[in-house]
Formats: sequence, C-alpha cells, structure tokens
Amino acid sequence: MAEKYLAQPDLGFIDEIVNLGGDTLKKCFQCATCSVACPIAPDNSPFPRKEMIAASWGLKDKLISSGDIWLCHECGDCSELCPRGARPGDVLSAIRSTAIVEYAQPKSLARAVNDPSKLPFLLGIPAIWFAIFAYITMAAGETMTRLFNKIGIAWSHDTHGAIAHSDFFSTWFVDLTFIPLSIFVTIAFAIGLKRFVVDIHENAVAENKTNRKDLNWGGLASAFVRIIPVILKHDKFNECEANKDRSTAHMMILYSFIGLAIVTGIFFVVLYIFHIPGPYSQFNPVKWIANISGVALVIGSCLMIKNRMAKEDQVTLYKDWYILCIVLSLGVTGLLAEMTRLAGAATFSYFLYYLHLIAVFNLFAFLPFSKMAHIVYRIAAMAYAEYGNRK
Amino acid sequence: MTTDKSASTGGIIMVVGGGISGLTTAIESAEVGYEVLLVEKEPSLGGRVSQLKQYFPKLCPPTCGLEINYRRIKDNPKIKVFTMAEVEEVDGSPGDYTVKIKITPRYVNEKCTACGECEKVCESEISNDYNLGMDKRKAAYLPNNIAFPSRYVMSSSMLEDDKNKVKEACKFDAIDFDMQEKSLEFKVGAIVWATGWTPYDARKISNLGFGMYQNIITNMMLERLAAPNGPTKGEILRPSDSKAPDTIAFAQCAGSRDENHLSYCSYICCMASLKHATYLRGQYPNAKIYIYYIDIRASGRKYENFYKKLKQDENIFFIKGKVAEVSEEESTGNINLVAEDTISGEKVRQNVDMLVLATGMQPNASLDKPNADLQFNSDGFIVNDFKEGGMFAAGCANKPADVITSNQNATGMALKAIQTLVGR
Repeated sequence: MAEKYLAQPDLGFIDEIVNLGGDTLKKCFQCATCSVACPIAPDNSPFPRKEMIAASWGLKDKLISSGDIWLCHECGDCSELCPRGARPGDVLSAIRSTAIVEYAQPKSLARAVNDPSKLPFLLGIPAIWFAIFAYITMAAGETMTRLFNKIGIAWSHDTHGAIAHSDFFSTWFVDLTFIPLSIFVTIAFAIGLKRFVVDIHENAVAENKTNRKDLNWGGLASAFVRIIPVILKHDKFNECEANKDRSTAHMMILYSFIGLAIVTGIFFVVLYIFHIPGPYSQFNPVKWIANISGVALVIGSCLMIKNRMAKEDQVTLYKDWYILCIVLSLGVTGLLAEMTRLAGAATFSYFLYYLHLIAVFNLFAFLPFSKMAHIVYRIAAMAYAEYGNRK
Repeated sequence: MTTDKSASTGGIIMVVGGGISGLTTAIESAEVGYEVLLVEKEPSLGGRVSQLKQYFPKLCPPTCGLEINYRRIKDNPKIKVFTMAEVEEVDGSPGDYTVKIKITPRYVNEKCTACGECEKVCESEISNDYNLGMDKRKAAYLPNNIAFPSRYVMSSSMLEDDKNKVKEACKFDAIDFDMQEKSLEFKVGAIVWATGWTPYDARKISNLGFGMYQNIITNMMLERLAAPNGPTKGEILRPSDSKAPDTIAFAQCAGSRDENHLSYCSYICCMASLKHATYLRGQYPNAKIYIYYIDIRASGRKYENFYKKLKQDENIFFIKGKVAEVSEEESTGNINLVAEDTISGEKVRQNVDMLVLATGMQPNASLDKPNADLQFNSDGFIVNDFKEGGMFAAGCANKPADVITSNQNATGMALKAIQTLVGR
C-alpha cells in the first residue's frame, strides 16, 4: 500500500459496473470467501475480494489499471461459494469491460461496439462497403481489367472455370479492406497496450504486488514467451471447478483461430508470391487445417453459447452475446459458403460469402473494442504477472 | 415464588417445547395462576441449554438455571409436563383450540427411581444424541445426569434378550414394555410455541470439510467435549487421536449469513466461540486460539466487554476473513485451512490441530413444521401475529437469540397467552 491514498470515488463508474452485469456488487460484505475460492488468485493480495470493495467505492483508477482483473478467467468458482450472491465473477467481468473501453482509441468506437443500439451501424457499414465492391467486381470486370493492366498487374486470376468467390468479390478488394484494417487494429492495440502495461506496472508497485521496481520491456517479452505454453494448454482455465466444461469450448475456439490465421497466412503467400489463385483443392493439407478449424469454431462457439444459457448464476449481456454470435456466424457462414461452392450453388455461395465478410469485418475491425480484446489484455496481464513474480 | 395470590383462571395455556424458553413461559404463566400443559418431545426437559458446559451471561453451568426451574415445576400443581410428546394437530381459534398430542412410549413408569440397575445389565447400545453422536450409550438410559423427569428411558431398539434382563434388574417394577403409543386431546385457550433450534447440519457446507475430516468439529460438539457430563468428561480432546490440541481455529459464520445455507445471522455463534476460547484457555494455558471471522457480533455492553477482554489475551488471535477452504494433513490428522486476512490482504494458510465450525441455529419449526395455523418467515422462524393472537412463538422458534433474550421474550409471550385467555 502506498503511504497515502486519497480515494476518489467515481459514482458514475459504480453505475457503469451495475449496468454491465455487476448489479449484485453492493451485496458483498467482504467475507473474503471469494479470494480463497478462486483457484488462481495469488497468496499475496489475492483477488477478487479487494476488487469488490474498490468497485463498490467507485475507485475506477485503481481497478482499470489493475492487472489482477485480467488474471481472472471468469470460471465462477467465487460466485458459486459467495454467501451473499454478490457474484464477484460477473463484477470482475464488468470491470474488464470498462477497462477495454478505457484503453481503447478512439473511445467513441469502443462505446459504439458495446452499445446494442449501434449494432445496425456496425453491421450496416461493412454490409454497404462489401456490397459496393461486390458490385464493382461483378459488373465492372472489364473496366477493372483495363485499369489494372495500366499499372501492370492482373485484375483477376484464372479460376479454371470453378465457382470462385473472387469472381464475386475480388481478392484485391478483400486485401485492400483487411490490410489497412489490420494496420489500424494493430496501432489501436499498440497505443492501448503501452498505456495498459505502464499502468498495471505502476499499480502493482503501489500495491506491493511485484518485487520489480522498473518496467523492463525485454524482460516482459521473455515472460510472454514463458507463458505461451500456459495459454496453449489452458492451465489456468483448467484449475477452475465450477465451469470446467468452458475450458474445452474456449480451447477449441482459440485453436481454430490459430489454425485459420495460419491458413490465411499460407494462402496469402501462395497467392501473391507463387501466383496460384484459389479455390484450392480439398486434398491440400492446408485446406484440411482450414476445414477442421472451421468446424472447431462452430462447435466451440455453440458449446459456449449452450454453457452461457445453462448457467443461471452468471449473467450474460450484450457484450457477451455480440462476440459469441459473431464468432459463431463467422464459422457457420464460412463453412456454408464453402459447402455451397462445392455443391455448385453459386448464388447461395456468393451470398454466404458476403455474410462471411461482414462477420470477419466485425470480428477484426472491433477487436480492440469488443470483449475479444481480452486476447491482448489478458495475455499482457499474464505475462506481466509472470514478469513481476506475482505469487 | 408463591402461587397463593393467583388470579382466577379462564382456560389453559399449552407450551410446546421444554427448553429454557418453554420452561420460562410455562412457569411464569403457572405462577400467576394459569393451568399449563408443557409438551416436550425429548424424554427430558432442558433443551439445548442442558447440553452446554456454561451459558451466558454469567457463564453458569446449566444446572444453575435449570434446577431452580425444575424445582418450580415440581412445586407447582398447575403445570402438567408431558415428555416424549409431540403436537400432532391444532384446530380452532384463539381462546378455543383443540390440540392432539402423541406420546411415544418410554417403557418406564413413575415408579422409576433412576437407580441405574437396568443400565448396568443392558448390553444393547445406541448412538448418544445428547453428545451429538460422539459416543454411544446403553439402550436403557437416563437422558442426562440432570434429567427432569429423573426417569430412565428404554429405547425401542433394545434387543429382546436385554428387555428381559432389564425387567429382571428393576426392583421397583418400573419397566413396562407393554406401553403403547398414546394420543391425547386437549382444549386450550392459548399456545406458546417454544420449539427451539437445531445446530445447522455442517455436512451441507461443502467447502468446510465437516464429516470428511475427523478433527473438524462443530461448536456444539466442542460444548459437549468441554462439559463435565460429556463424552470425555470435560477434557477437550480432538476426535482423531484424543490428543490435547495445541492450536485450535474457529471458523465463524459456518453456514450462517450465507444464502446457500442460513441467510441470517444466528446471533449466538460469535459469543459461543469467545466462550469456547475461555474453555480452551482454562484447560490448556499454552494453546493458541485463532478466530476467523467476518464481523464479531458482541452486542451490548457486557458482550462487548467480554470480547475486549479476550482481545487482550496473548494466546487468542482474531483474523478478519472467513475460512473458505480446508484439507487434512494425512500424517497428523491436522487441518490445513485457508482464508484471506482482509486487514493485511494476504492469504493465510494455517495448520491447526483442530478446527471448530461455529455453526448457526436452524429453527426446529423449519425442519418439522408444526401442523397449526402459523405464519413463518422465509427462514422458517415463526412470525408472531399479535393482532390474531392465540398462538405465539417464544425464544429461538421466533428468532435466533441467546438465553437472556429468549427468557425475556418467553416472559412476554406468557403475558400474551394470558391476554388471550382473559380476552384482551
């Protein structure tokens, strides 16, 4: 603890937590059962008891800059044993939501992503964007070919007469959309992440949660490497009791994303360096990874949705449904687009591909702003905990 | 006390439950001249207080308060006591109730002198409920050494062979195995329910290990271990190896103030644990005592002072944080407990010889609902409807309370019952 701490209660923050699913917050009477029930809370300054009192006092600055809120995997062991029904797991989840908005740049976009009334825009903007470029691909092929020839590159690839989604939506447009987008996302994350790491370090020093005085980025990077196996094996997740089945579902989604990222990378190289256009053969091993990942994505997200619906002592709000539905529709539209393509139903396949693009856009563009941002913040917090010897 | 100046009575008061509250209501009512029927389901009066080593406020042994009350009952012809009796049904309205009671046979009549010859020859054994099942007793038994009525009971589970033996051993012809269950019916004007409480079943508290690890006991078990008429004759020894414990931890609010168990504060457990600390300090001057609590509720000046005094004790430690995880050290049978000390913000992992769970009070009325037109709150306590009148709850049937509060409440309910009879 710092020598002097002037509490600056933020009453608006309390309301925010309450609205984000932490409505049971004030029931807490600080018995500290939760800190013991939590299988992953460290012995020194464990969570979530201290977060519960800080939240009910409106100490926003203390909470959003705490790495501890990200160490929590929301398994619900604390909520299950809580004698007051204060559901610390849900409160921590709500705090993380506010932290994502806090570290996001631009903030207005973060607020829009978490506001159900803005959903039509989030879906509508990419819908219009992709519709325009699909129209250009389909209707203005000749113009585009001439235009591209002038700068010396081929507009369309020979697709050997098979149904190809690039006939509906040019791969050029796909990449012209997603490459700038990924640059934007990376920058948005980088800005947020830097502030985040500096903040959690300061907080850890102030609250004696680390024995490091200075923040060493190299040390942090090597800590990150050390925790990769923990993440891949879901070691922390598997320590949970109340919600064990969620670990499998989460693992499926994580691995399918890794699989799909690898596939995308390989095909990117194949297309632009080796100039071999899709669609690729189903006998291609890379395609196997793609298909397995797609199926795992659908099963994993269905399991997660099922778990969420079955759980009565855990609240599920828009922020959770939004991301679950995006992930599920990503998998479903992707697989269906592929299946209809193989079945020869071009119109269906094009339409499903169109929906797939919208889903990819939502997942990708809003990564730093939606609940998905936990990929970055949780990993950073876990790496920092490893670096800072949090025990 | 004298009953000479008694007012003229206009009816009978039935008191259900012969613990400290029921005794008080019965005696207070009878001593102002009313006829009282005292119905007790156990073979002896005295209730939970009779199981204690000492009770607040003055840390008297139970004989101190119970014997004087038994004496007052003996001397008062207006009180009729039914033991091993339970209310089956209540009909009617205030001033005019019909109550059916069922009497389980004791197989022992009034001729019993409690000489104990039957017990000596009886070989069958049964679990000893008086000691919360920590030991066995003969199937021919005196409920406890201060039992009232001071009369033996023959358990119905006694073997035939033993039945013959005990009958033969009894010189007073007091044993009668032909006794049958009886049903009686009474007309009464008012009923006071003093049905008391049962310690909350600690097995239900899954994370506190009771029933899994021998050296985790409940506060009432400790009370029996400490009592001179208990299974260890008053020596507090831990169950696994009868070792005198050096380190003892108390887990407060075990099942109380907990929505998963009893949502309310049981009121007595804080003071009970503080009292238990004094038992341990008395018996083992070097033992270390750790009390894990959420809040210590020592209400009122006397209890507050008691707590303050214990806080000064160098061998008693108070840790603010609830015990939430336990395990057993296999080699020693010691208990490893985990809590968060919320003052320091550190997790505490402690190895203790014995862990005492400060379990709370569950109203008997919630476990075995009276068959009568009563109102219960969501926790199962009986709510007093003074407007309707006629039936009232006293003591822990109404709310968790200590002996003093129960007695004050029981006296008040005696007055309420009388008011019903005289039509006020």
